[in-house]
Amino acid sequence: MAKDMTLLWGSGSPPCWRVIIVLEEKNLQGYNSKLLSFEKMEHKSQQVLDINPRGQLPSFKDGDKIINESIGACLYLENQYKSQGTKLIPDSPAEQALMYQRMMEGNTLMQKIATVLYYHMLVPEGERHDSAVKRNRENLTTELQLWEKYLENVAAGSYLAGAFSLADVVVYPNFAYAFQYGLSAERYPKIAKYLNLLKDRPSIKTTWPQKWFQHEQRAEMLKGI
Amino acid sequence: MAKDMTLLWGSGSPPCWRVMIALEEKNLQGYNSKMLSFEKGEHKSKEVTAINPRAQLPAFKHGDVVLNESYGACIYLEEQFKSQGNKLAPDNKAESALMYQRMFEGLTLFQKIAQSLFYTRFVPENERHDSAQKRNTEELKAEVKLWEGYLQKTGPYLAGKSFTLADVIVFPVIAFLFRFGLNEEHFPKLAAYYNTVKDRPSIKNSWPPTWKDTPGQNALKDF
Repeated sequence: MAKDMTLLWGSGSPPCWRVIIVLEEKNLQGYNSKLLSFEKMEHKSQQVLDINPRGQLPSFKDGDKIINESIGACLYLENQYKSQGTKLIPDSPAEQALMYQRMMEGNTLMQKIATVLYYHMLVPEGERHDSAVKRNRENLTTELQLWEKYLENVAAGSYLAGAFSLADVVVYPNFAYAFQYGLSAERYPKIAKYLNLLKDRPSIKTTWPQKWFQHEQRAEMLKGI
Repeated sequence: MAKDMTLLWGSGSPPCWRVMIALEEKNLQGYNSKMLSFEKGEHKSKEVTAINPRAQLPAFKHGDVVLNESYGACIYLEEQFKSQGNKLAPDNKAESALMYQRMFEGLTLFQKIAQSLFYTRFVPENERHDSAQKRNTEELKAEVKLWEGYLQKTGPYLAGKSFTLADVIVFPVIAFLFRFGLNEEHFPKLAAYYNTVKDRPSIKNSWPPTWKDTPGQNALKDF
């Protein structure tokens, strides 16, 4: 039950937010929720390392079962609690396949966002190149244009794979994050529409990050993408 | 059914191999199988981009349904063909949790392999640094040691007693390590896992053709 679950998380981190959204969707409120600070390096603290030797958030336990990988945790929760809350994996083969496809592409999307936003954190000063920064930004642009196309018919009830699903749980936080760093709604109107259509969904509205992870990124970093 | 399925794949590529293993495990032999060459750039051909606009392999279709993301394809095949072949998703809660954890950690393992072994493929010449290569090598070594540790605590499979989706997905990545010369004596648990699982029919039947008669490389022999 929810009270046997523990989630250590950081505010504004897309992988953390995914797990929080699923817990809401599956009516698993009441879990032990611990907000930690990336800025204070609390993700490297002993209490995290005890659950997650990688020193990363989210760190999630269901009793003695540990799943720190956010997409893994989402799949686990949907499969263990199929009969309660929202159905997050469609039954029809076509919708199900599209759901898994977009869900995993969401991982690629997050990586390309991270490559741009975290460049200075990940790459030591002596190894940085303008050519790399340029290429990373171009790759992210190409990726976002692909998603803009995926969402060309987005409407209420018609999201990444039809009805709201795990694909949306995984991908929505990525887009919300990108817009926090200046992604242009004019350039990506369908993505902006998608964000707007779902921002009042209870699981998203009640868990909207109070603040967004900001280590060295600046708020306008994705403005020109 | 299998004859409505098409898989375009490249030899030795873990993402491709895992889908082939899943198809074998679910008794879906008889699918339309097309081996393509990365070296010849065939992954960028119209035949691939017609199914996968990202010009990547694997490219997989089941009738009109397209699923190019290998994790997605593996999970889909288990879900859609639950009642045939081998059960790849355990009912036991603890095994299921560990399965999902290891499955997705497999992404990290593969990324660290790519960062290190394919450094010169992904990084243009003017951007390369010995310091970066050294760091990537150290990170890969630390990651491999982590997996050795996992198999010290759990076995014989990645999620425990049964062969699961975690093995379908991650075995090809571990096999990749040994193909590149990982020393079995330094990593006995990984070696035992590799040597046990490689004889599984689904894996023997889908073993990369280009690996069969050629020696591997030894980039990892000093780990």
